[in-house]
Amino acid sequence: MVLPPNVSAADFNAALGEFRSAVGASWVFSSDEDVALYRDSYSINWGEPEERVASAAVAPAKVEEVQQIVRIANKYGIPLYPISTGRNLTYGGSAPNLRGSVVVDLKRMNRILEVDEKRAFALVEPGVSYFDLYNYIRERNLKLMLDVPDPGWGSPMGNSLDHGAGYTMAAFRDHFNSHCGMEVVTPDGDVIRTGMGAAPNSGSWQDFRYGAGPSVDGLFAQSNFGIVTKMGFWLMPMPEAFLSGTVTAPRHQDLDALVQEVSYLEDLSLTGMPQYGSPVAQASFGPGPGGAAMASLMQNGWPSSDALEAFVKAQKRPAWSVQLYFYGPEEVVRATWQAAKRRFGKAIAGATFQDGEFLTLPIPKEKEPTQPDKPRLGIPALEVFNMVARNPLTANDPADGHADLFVTIPRKASAIWESSRVLFEAHREAGVPGRQSPFSTPFTYYSRCFWTGTTVPTWRDPAKNARSRALFEKVMDRCAEHGWVSYRTNPAFQDLLASKYSFNNNSLLRFQERLKDSIDPNGIIAPGRYGIWPAKMRKTRA
Amino acid sequence: MRQTLFLVLVLGLSNFMPAQAVSETNGKAVFDKWCAPCHGAVAPKNVMFGSGALAGTSALAVKYKGKLPAVLDERTDLTPALIKTVVRGGLYGMPITRKTEVGDAELDDVVAYLTRNRKK
Repeated sequence: MVLPPNVSAADFNAALGEFRSAVGASWVFSSDEDVALYRDSYSINWGEPEERVASAAVAPAKVEEVQQIVRIANKYGIPLYPISTGRNLTYGGSAPNLRGSVVVDLKRMNRILEVDEKRAFALVEPGVSYFDLYNYIRERNLKLMLDVPDPGWGSPMGNSLDHGAGYTMAAFRDHFNSHCGMEVVTPDGDVIRTGMGAAPNSGSWQDFRYGAGPSVDGLFAQSNFGIVTKMGFWLMPMPEAFLSGTVTAPRHQDLDALVQEVSYLEDLSLTGMPQYGSPVAQASFGPGPGGAAMASLMQNGWPSSDALEAFVKAQKRPAWSVQLYFYGPEEVVRATWQAAKRRFGKAIAGATFQDGEFLTLPIPKEKEPTQPDKPRLGIPALEVFNMVARNPLTANDPADGHADLFVTIPRKASAIWESSRVLFEAHREAGVPGRQSPFSTPFTYYSRCFWTGTTVPTWRDPAKNARSRALFEKVMDRCAEHGWVSYRTNPAFQDLLASKYSFNNNSLLRFQERLKDSIDPNGIIAPGRYGIWPAKMRKTRA
Repeated sequence: MRQTLFLVLVLGLSNFMPAQAVSETNGKAVFDKWCAPCHGAVAPKNVMFGSGALAGTSALAVKYKGKLPAVLDERTDLTPALIKTVVRGGLYGMPITRKTEVGDAELDDVVAYLTRNRKK
């Protein structure tokens, strides 16, 4: 058994007894077998002393039980690590930041408290998954569309609190930005409601986010200032139609104009998440054309501009593509696509256009299973795991998991090219073939920036994990030298990540630590999350 | 003495009382909710990689190359021990499933469902 740091076995057992009184004996998990279920399945430290494992888990069913758990933890100095569904795999899963923490498993708090079709919002508890909320909406035939992340088993609350994102319009696919109203158990066991939830009987908790005075909602995302127990979300009214279209641009240098035009559509809320690609290059996370030719192009290092244009010509394919996705009435989506074609045609000589899928929404239930790209239509799925499970590319040696490293870069072509080169070189320095090329394209989950990066395999083999960690840290360091820093990371790298936000001697982190000391003087809630440690555990910073 | 005898009888008898019956029907419902999004029938048909393919089914198709069914609930060789080990321990990209998600009784039902056609 693992004990929390600086807690005696006697005190720990006394705390477990009180947890059992609070939630019922069957909802406190303390046997080795049960606690092992809270390991991070994708741990990059699996089986090593550094693996972040829990000492126990406790699963409350209501907010009053969460309050009791927090008070008991304060009494005995027990660190708690709350999870909603614990499915944020690659970012730590259900395992705590601090070895020996007690996981507060909120999966049993799984009520969908309200879905208002006319005002287009939902109020949910932490254990509600995207699948649950989707089924609730479909069963009642409510004309609402969810914005879902790739894996549908996570929760709207957990995903938004970890700054997760989806695929539809910018206002909805930034999941934290689409929240409205929280209920939070604070580290002293009190309960607060944010925004209009602080005004009794306002009737507008899920309509107006700010209330009056400082907005504190952001303090509870990627942090350790409280345990969120309810959260509201704005939902998209079900569009009448969906239309996709693809634009291609012939030359390598056309990327700048392509980005400008796509950004114009994004910033006017005229397209959902655009999907950049390169017909001449290997896809980022899967098979694609150009593999052997690309390898040949890259064998002597980063090619010159002339070499890149010559390569594109020889491939007889366009350098770039972008798929656009339109949501709304049929007349509007068709007109928007027409307008987009006109603008791209004017900005990029030789641009081509291909009409994509037109769908009337919602997708009939019987057609859902065969519908590709489900998340773009607000349908939760787990199909994305096909990319990392055993597949034709990894048939003999599938990884046990993966750790993603995505850094934020400015929304411009030069940043894409420069970051691709740096990522390519960082991989080479680590002795790993770089997946990036001069034709790599970014992710556009957040509309105002790009994300680029890498994903490293994780294993239940310490030697292999050591190599993955070395690569991960190399990439994070190299990117940070250029100001490209991750928006989210696995607990194993959260201290490193926090150190990269280093303006004015890490003044932001020092401010967060002062908040931590004030709000949570006993350091009960998730010590170490995103680099925020309580005073008693804080390392001396040089 | 009488009280002790009573306790012995009650506790002793409880060992012979049938456990709550497992339910294949509920097992299928639990399977459909928790397992089928990865281990269901491949949809769209013949898509074995990328968008539309189901990770578990595709992975097993690649692994077994047609020697065993790729769709999990078409298998006739699964044992209760194997099912429980994989569900509780995870395997490759398939993560651990906790008891707040699928309880032990529900897992027994899933086992009953997946072993219903098991060849003896």
